[in-house]
Amino acid sequence: MRWHAPADLEEALLLRGVHGEDVTVHAGGTFLGILMNQGLIAPPALLSLGRVAELRGIEVARGELRLGAMATHLAVERHPEVREGWPMLARAFGLVASRRVRAVATVGGVLADADYASDPPAALSALGARAILRGPGGERSVSIEELILGYYTTCIRPDELLVEVRVPPAPERAVYRKFVSRSSEDRPCVTVAAAHGAAGLAVVVGALAERPQRFDDLCAAAAGDLAAAGAREQLAQDYAARVEPIGDARGSAAYRRRVCAVEVRRALEALAA
Amino acid sequence: MRVDPRARGAVRYSVDADMPGQLHAALVRSTVAHGVVRGIDVSGVAPGVTVLLPEDVADLPLYGCQIADQAVLAERPRHAGDVVAAVAAPTPAAARAAARAVVVEVDELPAVFDALDAAREEAPLLHEGLSVSDNDAAYFGIRPVAGTNICHRFRIRHGDVEAGFAAADVVVEGTFRTPAAAHVPMEPHATVARFTEDGRLEVVTGTQTPFNMRMELAAMFGLDEEDVRIVVPPMGGSFGAKTFTRQEGIVAALARKTGRPVKLVLGRSEEFLTLNRHPSIVHVRLGATRTGDLVAKAVTCWADTGAYADCGPGVAQKMGFAAPGPYRIPNCWVDAHAVYTNTPPNGAFRGYGAMQSIWASERTMDLLAARLGTGPLELRRRNLLRDGDAYATGEAMHGTCFEELLDRAAAAVGYEHDPAGKGLCLVMKGMQTPSRASIAIEREGDGYVIRCATTEMGQGARRSLALLAAERLGCRPEQIRVPDPDTDRVPYDTRTTSSRSTFMMAGALAEACEALLEDGRRGHGTIVNDGGLDPDTGQGVASTHWHQAAGAAHLEVDEETGRVRLHRVHCAVYAGRVVNAPGAALQNEGSMTMGLGTALFESVDFNEGQVTNANLSDYNVPTARDAAALTHELVEREGAPIHGLGETALPPVPAAIGNALASLGIELYDLPMTPERVLEAIDRRAAPSPEPDLEARRR
Amino acid sequence: MRVAFVLDGAPAELEAGEGEMLVDALRAAGRLSVRETCGIGVCGACAVIVDDEPVSACLMLAAQVDGRSVTTVEGLPDDDPVLQAFTQAHAAQCGWCTPGMVLTVKAMLADDPQIDRERAAEGLGGNLCRCGSYSRILDAVQLAAELTLKED
Repeated sequence: MRWHAPADLEEALLLRGVHGEDVTVHAGGTFLGILMNQGLIAPPALLSLGRVAELRGIEVARGELRLGAMATHLAVERHPEVREGWPMLARAFGLVASRRVRAVATVGGVLADADYASDPPAALSALGARAILRGPGGERSVSIEELILGYYTTCIRPDELLVEVRVPPAPERAVYRKFVSRSSEDRPCVTVAAAHGAAGLAVVVGALAERPQRFDDLCAAAAGDLAAAGAREQLAQDYAARVEPIGDARGSAAYRRRVCAVEVRRALEALAA
Repeated sequence: MRVDPRARGAVRYSVDADMPGQLHAALVRSTVAHGVVRGIDVSGVAPGVTVLLPEDVADLPLYGCQIADQAVLAERPRHAGDVVAAVAAPTPAAARAAARAVVVEVDELPAVFDALDAAREEAPLLHEGLSVSDNDAAYFGIRPVAGTNICHRFRIRHGDVEAGFAAADVVVEGTFRTPAAAHVPMEPHATVARFTEDGRLEVVTGTQTPFNMRMELAAMFGLDEEDVRIVVPPMGGSFGAKTFTRQEGIVAALARKTGRPVKLVLGRSEEFLTLNRHPSIVHVRLGATRTGDLVAKAVTCWADTGAYADCGPGVAQKMGFAAPGPYRIPNCWVDAHAVYTNTPPNGAFRGYGAMQSIWASERTMDLLAARLGTGPLELRRRNLLRDGDAYATGEAMHGTCFEELLDRAAAAVGYEHDPAGKGLCLVMKGMQTPSRASIAIEREGDGYVIRCATTEMGQGARRSLALLAAERLGCRPEQIRVPDPDTDRVPYDTRTTSSRSTFMMAGALAEACEALLEDGRRGHGTIVNDGGLDPDTGQGVASTHWHQAAGAAHLEVDEETGRVRLHRVHCAVYAGRVVNAPGAALQNEGSMTMGLGTALFESVDFNEGQVTNANLSDYNVPTARDAAALTHELVEREGAPIHGLGETALPPVPAAIGNALASLGIELYDLPMTPERVLEAIDRRAAPSPEPDLEARRR
Repeated sequence: MRVAFVLDGAPAELEAGEGEMLVDALRAAGRLSVRETCGIGVCGACAVIVDDEPVSACLMLAAQVDGRSVTTVEGLPDDDPVLQAFTQAHAAQCGWCTPGMVLTVKAMLADDPQIDRERAAEGLGGNLCRCGSYSRILDAVQLAAELTLKED
C-alpha cells in the first residue's frame, strides 16, 4: 500500500489528478480504518490530506461559515464562532461517536463517506450548506442533496477533492434531534435537523434511509403556520408518509416511520417555541 | 500509594502470552449453516503457510464437555462460522490473508434455526447418535432423546400438578422468549500452545475450566492428563465465554502439525460465532387460589444450544430447576430441553439459564397478581420460601432471607407508597452441585503462596483468597501471593463457574490454613459439596446453598416512541458475609449492568443462521450513562457462610423492568424490551387481545 | 515506512508495515497496555493520546503519527492523580479497559477540571467496560479531579 502525504493542496490535487481512482483519499481515516480492519477494502494507495494545513481552517467570512475539509469534528464543535453563530451545527458535530473519533474525523470525510447514520450531513443540509469540490477543471459548488447520492455514494469525481464546506448565515431558529433506540451511545435510529428563517423552513430526516430525507415541497406548504399544532402534526405525518425507511438492528422500517412522525413534530415544536 | 497494575496497564493476559518461535493461526469458517465439505482448495495460499485440513485431525476423537459431538475441524459444518480448516503463518496478517485464500466447497444440507422447529420429528437432524461425554463436566444424568435434536431433557415431578390446577381458582399463562446474547469479553479468546520435546502439550489460554480442558485435550490427543499442562493468565473478562474447550484443540492440532508453538487470537466478529447465550422459549402456567396461595405450576423450557451441546444440557437443567422460583408451590411440573439448531453454539453465560427462567416466571407472577387483583409485592410475600419449606426438588430450604431482600428492594423504589411505573423480581439461583475444590498453601520467604485453580477474570478471586488466608494466618494480604493457575502445580478444582469459588475455596482454604499452621510449611484443604437431581423426577439436591436476590425498578416510558427511561433499578443481594467489599460491590454492579443490556437491547441477530450484527456498533453493550440508574445493596448475616456474588444481581434486572412496564399496562413477553417492542405492547394495551399463541408468535 | 515520533516522552522510531494500525505498531513496540477489542473505534481499549487528544489507535495508521507525540498509560508517573484515583477507588475489575479509561479521564479533566458525575459519564460514553465498573470509575473521576486540584 502506497502512502502519499502531500504537503499542500496543490500537490494533493496533482496527485489526485494523476492517480484518480487508484488512490483512496485519507482524511481522518476513522471510516477507512473500520473498512480496512474488517477486510472490506485493501486500497493499493492512500492519499493522505493530513499535512495539508490550508484545509484545516474554520472561519467566518461575510456572515458565511467556511469549514475546511480537514477541520475535525472536535474543532467544529468547540469553535467559538460556530458555537455562537451555528449552535445547531456545533451540537450535531458534538454528538458524533466519541471524543476520540471526533478528534480525528473530519468535515470532508463525513460528507465524502456518506454514511447514512452520521449526524452532520442532515444538519448541514438543513442549514443549506454547500460543498466545494475542486478538480483539474476548477471548482464547483454542490448542495448536500446533490453531493450524497445514496449509501456511501457521492457525486465527487475521481479527480476531485472536497476542499471546503460553506454554510450560509444561520437561520433564526434551528434544532437537531437524535433518537437512539438502544444504548445511550448507539448510532441514531432517526435524526431530525430543522431550520426556520428567511430562507424558509427546512426539515431533514437522517439515519432512517440511505441518504438524508428532505421534502422542500412539504415544508414550503407548511412554513407559514408552524405556530399551529395541527399544521406541525400534519407536516410530521406527511414526512412520515413520504420517507422510505430502512430496517436494521436499531428498528424496523415501520417503527422508524412512526418515530419519524414523532421526532419531526417535536423538532417543529422546538422551532415554534 | 502503589499504582494498581490494572490502571498502569501492567496485567498480562493470554493475548500477551508468547512462546519462542511461535507461528500465528487464523481460522477458515463455513459460510453455510449446514452442509458437507466437498473440497478445500489451498492453491491460493502463500508458500510457507501450513494449512490444517480435516484429514490432519481425522485421528482425533469427537469432543464436548457434556456430549461428545464436535470434531476439531468440521467436515460437516453445522453452523455458519463453524471452523472447517485453519492456517499457521509467520505473522497474524499473513495468517489472515492465508485463511482468506482458502476456498471451501460445501454442499448445503437443510438447516433449522429455531428450537421448536428443531425439536419436531421431521426436522433435519444435526447429529446422528449422541454419546455422553466422559468429561467431569458431564456430572449429572444426561438424557438425549434418540433420533431427535434434543440432547437433554430434564423433568421435575412434584406433587400432582393436574389436581393442583383443578383446585386453582385462577390460572394464568404466558410464553416468554429471550434471544441469543454475546458475552463480549473485552479480551478476545486467545491461546498459545506447543508440544514439548518430551511429548507434553502445553497450553496458555484464557479459561474458567482448566481441569475440564486438561481432561478434554488429553483425551483428544491420546495423552495422560499429567502430560497436558494448562496455564491460565488473568482474563480480560469472560462471563462464561471462556469455558471448556473452544479454539484450544485447533491450536494444539496446528502445533502438532507444524512442530512449532502456535498462537491464535480471535477477531471480534469471530467472538459472535464462538459461544453465545442460549436463546430460550419458556411457557409458564401458574395457578392460585382466590386468596393468592400458589397451588400449581407447569413450565416447559426450550434452550437452543446451537450446533454443539457444549454445556447446554447443564444450562437446560438449571433453567428447569430454577423454574419453580422461590415460592411454596405444592404441585410442580417442569420439562426442560436442550435442542440443537444450526446456529453458533450456546453455552455458559453469567446467570446460566436462571435468567431465562426467572424472566418468564417473575413476569407470570405479575400476570397472576393482576388477575387476582392483589399487589405483586403482597403476592410474593405471601408465597415466598422460608426456612424449612420444601422446594420443588424436595430439598428443605435453609438460610433463606427472601422477605428481607424483597422488602429492601421494594423500599428502595418506594413501592408501597406508589407502585405505578414500578416492578419487582425475586431470584433464587443454584450453585454448582456436586463439585469439589482443593487448595494448597505454602510458606514462601516471609509470606505464603497459594496454589489454586480458581481463575481470575476480573471478579477479584485472588484478592478474596489473599484476604481470607491473611485473616486465618494473621498476616497482611500483601504477604500472600496467588500465581496464575497452572495444572502442573495446583490441585484439582471443578471449575471457576456458577459463583462457587469464593464459597467453595473459602472452605478448602480454611482447612489448608489450619493444616499449614500445624505443619509449619504447607497445608492442603479439600471441600466437596454433594448432591444432584434425578433427571426424570427432578428430586434430590439441586444446590447445597442458594444465591438469593430481589430487584426493583422504577421507570417512565415515552409512549410515543416506546423508549424507557429508568429512574432507578435496585438490587438487594444476599452475601452471607462479605470478604472483599469493593470486589463484592463491583460484582453486583457488573451483573446489573449486564442485566440492563439483556433487558433493554442486547440480542445477537440472525438471518437464516448468519449473524447480522457481529460487531460492537451493531451489537450494543451498556455504557456509563446507561448504568447511571443502577443501585444495589449487600445483605449480610452474622455467622453466615460466604456466598458467591458473580451472577445473582443479573436476573433481577430484566424481570423488574418488565414488571414495571406491566404496572403501566405494557405487557412484554420477549427480551430485549426495545422501544419498538414496548410500542407494540402499548398498541396491544389500547386494543386488548389475548396473548398470541405459541404457534402464531413463531411465524 | 519509517515513522519518527515521540513515545511517552522519548524520541522513537518504528517501521510501519503497509496499512499497519497504530495499535499494532505500539504493541510491537512493547506497549501492551494498548489493547484491541472492537477494531472500529467504539470501545476505547486502544485509546492513546496523540499530541493532546485521545484517539483510537485501532483506526489510526501508524504513518499518521509521524512527527507527533504519543502518550500511553505506561508513560505516566506513579504520582499521576488519575492513576492514583483509579487505584484508590478500586475502579477496575479485569483491568482490560482501565488504561483507556485513565487516558480519557486525563483529557476530560484537562478541559473541565471540576467535571460533575453526569458530564463525566457522558465523556466516558466511548469507553466500554463489560465488567460494568462504571460507578467506581465515575468515583475515580471525582477523586482524580480533587487530587488534580490539590496538586495545582
